Amino acid sequence: MTTQNNFWQHNRTVLIFALIALTMPFWFPLMGGYSGLDTKIMIFCIFVVGFDILLGFTGYLSFGHAAFFGISAYVTGIMLKSFSDNIIPAILVAVLAATVVAVIIGLLTLKRTGIYFSILTLAFAEMFDSMAMSMLQKWTGGENGLTGMPTPMLFNLKMQGDTVFYFVTLMAILLFYLAKRIERSPVGLMMKAIKCNQTRLEFTGINARKYKLLAFVISAVYAAIAGALMVVYEPFVGHEFLGWHQSGEIVIMSVIGGVGTLVGPMLGAGFMLYFENVLSVNLGEQWLLVLGAIFMAVVIFMPGGFMEGIARLKKRYFTTVDGE
Amino acid sequence: MTDVKSENTNHKAGWSRRDVLKATSAGAAAGVTPMFFTQNAWAEEALGNYPVKGSEVVLGFNVPQTGAYADEGADELRAYKLAVKHLNNGGGMLDTLKPSKLTGNGILGKKVTYVTGDTQTNADASRTSARRMIERDKVIMVTGGSSSGIAIAQQYLCNELGIIFMCGLTHSNDTTGKDKQRYGFRHFFNAHMTGKALSPVLSKEYGKDRRAFHLTADYSWGHTQQESMQEFTEKEGWSTAGNIMTPLKTTDFSQYLSQVLNSDADVLILNHYGANMVNSLTNAVNFGMRDMQKNGKNLEIVVPLYSRLMAKGAGSANIDGVLGTSGWNWALQDEGSKVFVKTFTDEYGFPPSQAAHTCYVQTLLYANACEMAGTFYPPEVIKALEDFKFTGAGNGETLYRGSDHQCIKNILVMQGKSPAARTSEFDYLQIVDEVDAKTVDYDPAIFGGELGPYVPA
Amino acid sequence: MDMTLNAFTLSILTGLQLGSIYVLIALGLTLIFGTLGVVNFAHGALYLIAIYLAVSINNALGFGLALILVPPILFIIGVLLERGLIQRFYDRPHTDQILVTFGLAIVIQELLKWAFGANNIPFSIPSWGNGIIFMHDYLPFLEGFVVYPKWRMILVVVAIVTVSAVFALLHLTRFGLVIRAGMRDAEMLQFLGVNINRRFMVVFGLGAMIAGIAGVFGGPVTQVSPEVGMQLLVPSFLIVVIGGMGSLGGAVLASILIGMAQSFTAPYIYINTIIIYLITVIILLVRPRGLLGAKGVFE
Repeated sequence: MTTQNNFWQHNRTVLIFALIALTMPFWFPLMGGYSGLDTKIMIFCIFVVGFDILLGFTGYLSFGHAAFFGISAYVTGIMLKSFSDNIIPAILVAVLAATVVAVIIGLLTLKRTGIYFSILTLAFAEMFDSMAMSMLQKWTGGENGLTGMPTPMLFNLKMQGDTVFYFVTLMAILLFYLAKRIERSPVGLMMKAIKCNQTRLEFTGINARKYKLLAFVISAVYAAIAGALMVVYEPFVGHEFLGWHQSGEIVIMSVIGGVGTLVGPMLGAGFMLYFENVLSVNLGEQWLLVLGAIFMAVVIFMPGGFMEGIARLKKRYFTTVDGE
Repeated sequence: MTDVKSENTNHKAGWSRRDVLKATSAGAAAGVTPMFFTQNAWAEEALGNYPVKGSEVVLGFNVPQTGAYADEGADELRAYKLAVKHLNNGGGMLDTLKPSKLTGNGILGKKVTYVTGDTQTNADASRTSARRMIERDKVIMVTGGSSSGIAIAQQYLCNELGIIFMCGLTHSNDTTGKDKQRYGFRHFFNAHMTGKALSPVLSKEYGKDRRAFHLTADYSWGHTQQESMQEFTEKEGWSTAGNIMTPLKTTDFSQYLSQVLNSDADVLILNHYGANMVNSLTNAVNFGMRDMQKNGKNLEIVVPLYSRLMAKGAGSANIDGVLGTSGWNWALQDEGSKVFVKTFTDEYGFPPSQAAHTCYVQTLLYANACEMAGTFYPPEVIKALEDFKFTGAGNGETLYRGSDHQCIKNILVMQGKSPAARTSEFDYLQIVDEVDAKTVDYDPAIFGGELGPYVPA
Repeated sequence: MDMTLNAFTLSILTGLQLGSIYVLIALGLTLIFGTLGVVNFAHGALYLIAIYLAVSINNALGFGLALILVPPILFIIGVLLERGLIQRFYDRPHTDQILVTFGLAIVIQELLKWAFGANNIPFSIPSWGNGIIFMHDYLPFLEGFVVYPKWRMILVVVAIVTVSAVFALLHLTRFGLVIRAGMRDAEMLQFLGVNINRRFMVVFGLGAMIAGIAGVFGGPVTQVSPEVGMQLLVPSFLIVVIGGMGSLGGAVLASILIGMAQSFTAPYIYINTIIIYLITVIILLVRPRGLLGAKGVFE
């Protein structure tokens, strides 16, 4: 009985997320969504959950996570094109490649903190972007993007439409569950301790660098999985995947959702993509202006993002329930 | 023909999650798109968003509304809206296009409506937007794009999904070359044709003994434009001093122009488009390159692909006398151009750009192909477009070549007007020569590529 | 490539003038950061406002009035911005500052696009600045034909004058003394009863005003379209960081370094496209606080 209760308590958010995500095809069209966008939202949920392990837990703001997303997408694309149309080897190789890059970049950049860390990661990502656009054009397709991949296959299963959606969603649920586990684990606590006070942590003899690197690499792996899934969802890689706008978008999603909450960034991702692809049509040419204004308003008035908004509403209407 | 269709039956057989959705909410969804619901009735032919249910047919206009090409995108959108108006109510080029089965009563008796999207001048965003139109809005055709990279990205997507894509402004050889697709069609001309049309004029104006330096936008379009210009100017006897591939995001070209000054070139060819061209040309003028002597000759600047919006951005003092090519210009005096310019100007108060022209014509050509085929079924529409010969759309007699889906038509060699010679605020360029379709024609085999099957796998 | 003296001179001049436009933008950025501790992602947008104002006034009323009007208008905009928005963010994390100013940059960019269109607006150079300079007239050791656009050389002069003026202001006035002290230790100054708040407002205005000067002289070089602000933002930031956040001398040095690097790598395009990032990475890894950054500042 108690173990069951514990399981429920620990995994309540994951189960609720799973329920909402898996039923998405049924309710999303009612609000103007469509097949394809739901898949993309799930992919970005993976990306931002991983990003929150770095930004939310350790407080390190990376402006270059698009690098891992993009590198993984390119490798997936090239694998599908020239090795096999089966997505499993493609995803594995892509994530491995991105992980290697992440370890190297992590070792180099994590020596720095604050704005210097942000700028360093930005510089690395921009360097990859410029390389994809010029010297690696032969492989990346440059501005045209990487096209001409076969239909991705999961062994004998064509990865199209619904199949992709459920594949991606199951991955998202699994990865969200893992992120939750990390959050509760001793490692997660260490990561959060870095955010609070790194110097004090180091005085206690704990090797903070190890945990920083771990957080960095885990978040890069999430980004890489998301990047690979983007290609499975749609056999195309644009150099925009690597650009600082992509990195910036992830930061924006995380902040308007609520950094450090894991759930918040996913809300942010859903909101951003919904806004960009559904509401933008109603707003016409000025949609970006409205988005910029909303974004400013959230940062000014609700620094904790949507999650803070929800908490405030809860507090206003449900305080008695909590027995205050 | 029949076996092609039966292949398709296998593909669409079985229920998707959306069938389940439709079944469970049948009441609410009735009349929207119960396409799979009555699947057996349509099983023979369901493809992409065919069949079109209801009394309306939806077209998807995917143009840049934000980003560097937003002004071109806005003009394209104006043209699309005008085309829809004419398709539904008659008028415009419906009166001049020949042969034409267009009635002015929609397409195949269905009223034409449209949805719009923002490509953000970004390949990934353009695909997401096109997907929304196809999946949610059930468009039967997508059209738009103001850059080759974006056009090619959408063309691949549409080809996979069985939706015809009518390219807007895209000038790369690749669009109907190595990246050509069965479901993609281009009315606009390309870099190869520019090289062919422009080079003889250049050698006539500037002499046979010239040395050219190229600055080239580092992507598909720039590369093909540079190759074509080099190929055809060298055929005229010119030599090539050098080429620098400039990153697309460059705004200040002074570092590259210094290299041009260092070389012994006496012609500068700017294989740039849009903001790139405006910046590189303005920078070159600031470097005194319009008033400079090299090898005892005047240094000349050439802009292979011209547009009015670019000319406006660069300023008429800077483009005065500069040669380039355009697909179309509002000063053309044929019947089709005149009626298009008049209806467009009546509607919006200023004349259309070449981007608007190609988008307008593409929409009409698609509609006409549906009428000729008597169906929206894409493979039949494609066949109607392939090798379709027409006149009255502004470029003389035009062929929609079946082997690569490239229109072969007259193109214009243009020259920038001096500020004094301009007659209106839209008058930036004058037509030097209308180069005949036969002259710019070429063998499609030189670029390779495969169109692929009529029914996508 | 064998480099002749003429080619070398051309590359040096190109590097200098590239560095000049960078320094005019990076100067305000690093001043604001060093003094207020605010990472201002809207600085590119301030420059954007400046070039649109400059081109409008220039085309309607002439360059002289643009030069007289634009910098003070930018100063006022800067002050209003600081009072209305930025001051709320002094105590917030850098992340929030980056994000709110980034949002502001989008809003400004889209508003200007709405008002002026996405296409370029030609910015004609006044007749006295038009044309080219024959470098032989000034550098007699050069032989033969070496020319450079006059306007770009004027830009270099403007950059030198602006940098000197800012240095003079900071080192020769009482105001500057307080500001420099504030850059070292703002809290201490508060304890000493100096009203640092009002001075912060002036500094932000000053930063915006430098963007205004940059806009008047840089507009004809960078061109006038809504994309320009964002395009200059990343390189200017990298320059500020390479130089050392908050170090004016560092910003000047880094601007020249990047300008020269871009100029000399122009024939080697693969290196040219990544050189700025490469330099950033190398410098920050070897010398974490940047070229001339003070130890311990924002590390």
